[in-house]
Amino acid sequence: MNTLLTRSKNLGQYGIFGAFVVICLGLAVINPQFMTVSNWTIIITQVSINALLAFGVTFVIITGGIDLSLGSMVAVTGVVAASLAHPDTYPVIVPIGVGVLSGVAMGALNGLVITKSKVPPFIVTLGMMTIGRGLALILSKGRPISNLSDSFNFIGGGSVLGIPFPILILVVFFILCTLLLKKTVLGRYIYAVGGNEQAATASGIRVNKVKMAVYTLCGGLAGLAGILLTARITTGQPNAGAGFELDAIAAAIIGGTSTSGGTGTMTGTLIGALLIGVISNGLDLLNVTSYYQQVVMGAIIIGAVVLDSWNQKK
Amino acid sequence: MTRQPDQLLQVRNLSKSFVGVKALDQVQLDLKKGEVHAVMGENGAGKSTFMKILMGLLSPDSGEIWLEGDVLKNADVNETLKRGISMIHQEMLVVPELTVAQNIFLGREKTNWLPFWLDDAHTNAQAEAILQQMGVDIAPTTLLKHLSVAEMQMVEIAKAISNNAKVIIMDEPTSAISDKEVATLFKIIKDLKQQGVGILYISHKMDEIFQISDTITVLRDGQYIGTKPASELDQPTLISMMVGREITNLFPEIVPSKGEVVLSVKRLTRQGVFSDITFEVRKGEVLGLAGLMGAGRTEVARAIFGLDRYDNGEIQLNGQTIRIHSPAEAIALGIGYVSEDRKGLGFIPAMTIQDNITLSSLSQHAKAGWVMTDREASVATHMMQNLRIKATGAAQKVSHLSGGNQQKVVIAKVLQAAPDVVILDEPTRGIDIGAKFEIYKLINDLTAQGIAVVMISSELPEILGLSHRILVLSKGKQTALLVREEATQDVIMKYAMQ
Amino acid sequence: MKRTLIGSALCALLLVGCGQGSSDNKEASGDKKIKIGVTMLSMQNEFIVKVSDEIEKKAQEMGVELIVVDAERSALKQVEQVESFIAQKVDAIIMNPCEVEASSPAVTKALAAKIPIVNVNSETSAAPSAFVGSDDVESARIAMNFIAEKLGGKGNILMMHGYMGQAAQIKREQGAREILQKNPNLKLLAHQTAEWDRAKAMSLMENWIQSYGANVNAVFAQNDEMGMGAVNALTAAGMKDKVIVVSIDAIPDALQAVKKGTLNATVFQNAEQQGANALETAVKIVKGEKFEKQTLIPFQLVTKENVETFLK
Repeated sequence: MNTLLTRSKNLGQYGIFGAFVVICLGLAVINPQFMTVSNWTIIITQVSINALLAFGVTFVIITGGIDLSLGSMVAVTGVVAASLAHPDTYPVIVPIGVGVLSGVAMGALNGLVITKSKVPPFIVTLGMMTIGRGLALILSKGRPISNLSDSFNFIGGGSVLGIPFPILILVVFFILCTLLLKKTVLGRYIYAVGGNEQAATASGIRVNKVKMAVYTLCGGLAGLAGILLTARITTGQPNAGAGFELDAIAAAIIGGTSTSGGTGTMTGTLIGALLIGVISNGLDLLNVTSYYQQVVMGAIIIGAVVLDSWNQKK
Repeated sequence: MTRQPDQLLQVRNLSKSFVGVKALDQVQLDLKKGEVHAVMGENGAGKSTFMKILMGLLSPDSGEIWLEGDVLKNADVNETLKRGISMIHQEMLVVPELTVAQNIFLGREKTNWLPFWLDDAHTNAQAEAILQQMGVDIAPTTLLKHLSVAEMQMVEIAKAISNNAKVIIMDEPTSAISDKEVATLFKIIKDLKQQGVGILYISHKMDEIFQISDTITVLRDGQYIGTKPASELDQPTLISMMVGREITNLFPEIVPSKGEVVLSVKRLTRQGVFSDITFEVRKGEVLGLAGLMGAGRTEVARAIFGLDRYDNGEIQLNGQTIRIHSPAEAIALGIGYVSEDRKGLGFIPAMTIQDNITLSSLSQHAKAGWVMTDREASVATHMMQNLRIKATGAAQKVSHLSGGNQQKVVIAKVLQAAPDVVILDEPTRGIDIGAKFEIYKLINDLTAQGIAVVMISSELPEILGLSHRILVLSKGKQTALLVREEATQDVIMKYAMQ
Repeated sequence: MKRTLIGSALCALLLVGCGQGSSDNKEASGDKKIKIGVTMLSMQNEFIVKVSDEIEKKAQEMGVELIVVDAERSALKQVEQVESFIAQKVDAIIMNPCEVEASSPAVTKALAAKIPIVNVNSETSAAPSAFVGSDDVESARIAMNFIAEKLGGKGNILMMHGYMGQAAQIKREQGAREILQKNPNLKLLAHQTAEWDRAKAMSLMENWIQSYGANVNAVFAQNDEMGMGAVNALTAAGMKDKVIVVSIDAIPDALQAVKKGTLNATVFQNAEQQGANALETAVKIVKGEKFEKQTLIPFQLVTKENVETFLK
């Protein structure tokens, strides 16, 4: 009885899931092409990059922080990976490893400055956004880096057993992030820090360590997203990823992560990311101009937050 | 109903239900001019629903409210304010960035001949007149954020007076102010009485109720239990009216302690906050920490627990000198702290009871960073039973619990980390009498298990009823260390005011 | 104390430096070195960087002193940069405008201060002293004509726009539509913006493949980045052989793709000539020599047949 009650409450929190289903059904009726396996394969592949970023920023937002440097981190890691991924140079693990590590390093730097200086994350990561963009331009000398090895491009364009590699990465990291958040001590601490930072401190949680972990994690996931993007478009581009942070934050918020911290789930974020992907795919299929796409997207973000605040009042 | 001009406020058969649950059932009330009328009841008895209806924040399902012989029907907040009912909220509803005068006239701004042009001089002069009449020394141009809680309360009262309030509702006005400030408040209440203002007074503090009120109305579980002149009631009778059963002995029997010293604090000093604090607590002993608000009791506790640094002195735990830099270290060493600021430092509202209880000891229920959910759940359920936490289950969110149960969750969390010494800071603040009684018993259980307890409390009966020894602080210095037998309220107050 | 010492030392050094600089100028006043301010649309754009590089190369050749700044796609910033050029009393200004309208005040202000201003690569609504560039409309005509020829004047076409409302987008759309009108059997199935971006273009192409599938005969992308994105998506879907993709700019990546045969054609806009010609024109104006009010550098279609001449 109890579990039934809590379960129905959880469903209520996923009001956005209902909206997602309705939008999908609507699109399916208007354009039969929408509900095909091939179209969904495309949607999920396209969503994978934003979803990875959104997973990372979900951790951050649950602690009550924000990360605006995601897009720049994507550019830096993309450029770093691409410069090491030319054919017949290094084995493919090198560009992947070094790329992810560069994201980890930038995330850790975010965390370090935020915890040591007590400057709000909004400002620190805003600074990092510009620094990262500059770094990407410096490293690439302002030019795209192309001619990448086939094994590297496989990450973005290859398939295993008919499933595109980006989808496999998405699934693996969705499971890992969910487990981390729900099943580990760190995950519990992430919720506690965002729920009430002072009480978390008084409960013996080393809040700064948790924040460091969260920003570093976010950086690592951004690194992975950067590699995925680079492999998908088969070039490392210094101006890639501009504005990606906003899509990722939007996915988290649409998925029910509260910007005041303390609540949020990876499932919600995944639905948020899928919803964004479905809308842009669906409107492309219907040949709606991007002007309207932007209006629709904005309305959905606001709608999601309104829904969330109603749920909180209840 | 007939007009009764000396009756300020008459409430007849007021009922209100929330989704099938009766929050108020046939409640009655008569408030005369110049009367202080206490409304008593445990948390959940329906007091706040009742007050919200009077203020027009909620509308009743049935029943009538008469103000000076006129019926108040479907009145919203603006209407009730205009008709002369004001409320001093427990959580101060003031605007910190505005001045005292601006707060007093908020919503009724004074303008000059241009109806949109603020007349600051006039506003300040009027505010000053009201504050002077109250005998309060606050400059009307001070920003609210620079005031103490007690002063903010005075501003709220001034706001009610400026509004020509006939009825003033005071919700726990003394919960966060010092004894001296309480005296000022009571003087103002007496002045208001003389001017014919009726006061509805809500408080959990028994001694205060008997000191200030003329009449007492008791509610229990939304039911109207009765109204009696304060002079005809004594504390045990009132408690049994509120609780519905007899609580003969509020404080459990104290067993003398002869254990070894657990915590020893020597000449602990934090510049400008407290200095030279020295005491010991033994196994199974309760050391009471008494003093006025601002005497430095909480600050000493925070320093021992690693929430604040200290400049000089030494802390020993079980004979070992320790230096603590963070709560994490304190907890690992075996020190527990239940904060006075339950909402701010105590629990994480959005998390479940279970998650809160295991928060300080999570690594004990985890392997290689993974939480062992089964073990965690059994630990939490066990604690909930032990501490008699009333909830729908371990998965309920703490924000949905009553104050007393929230406090028990916080205590459970601290105990789960297996401390040798526990510092309880105002453990019964804002919780009702039944839950208080349970917490007293719990403290006794702790000492029986050999845990050393340091208890900070502003309620002297609590200090006297539970402590083996009592350390009195005043202005950051310790003024007395009394054994139980020599301590009385008067003696403690004498040292506390020193 | 230390800090102030260092500070004042720095100040002194700067003052000395300035003094020397100005005296040098005076000495050389007979054969004064020409100073030209250059503001470029965006140094994040490969093509623009090339134009800028060429201006600098030519300036070195001709002994002209240059101040090059990046407007980072902001017309407001660009106007401020031109204002500071005016304040520095440069002899001429070369501007690569960010926007048609919003960058116009820069032209008006420069002319009001009697400083000649040359627009390079794209236009403003206010008329500058001279314009050096190529007509974007023409580039799209060339690209679309290639498609029309290849399809024999009949087929279904998709068009990818750049940022909507930018001069290049407007003109390239205009050119493309002119050719479409001349070929009534060419049908524009859909058109959508991919914001000049490769990743966005790839996603857009994937979505289009879903809705139009085998009906698509050709894609016209308004720049090479988007063209490359379309090529990626079509290759992944195994449809590249059946669909013609043409884009504009001839960036190195695109030239490689043309060589490989994945991109059918691109249109070469001559960055070298634009840059060199802009600087020459500016110098001519300063020296009071005769100059062309408008220099249009012709475009060249790049296909597999002639790509080698563009690859260096």
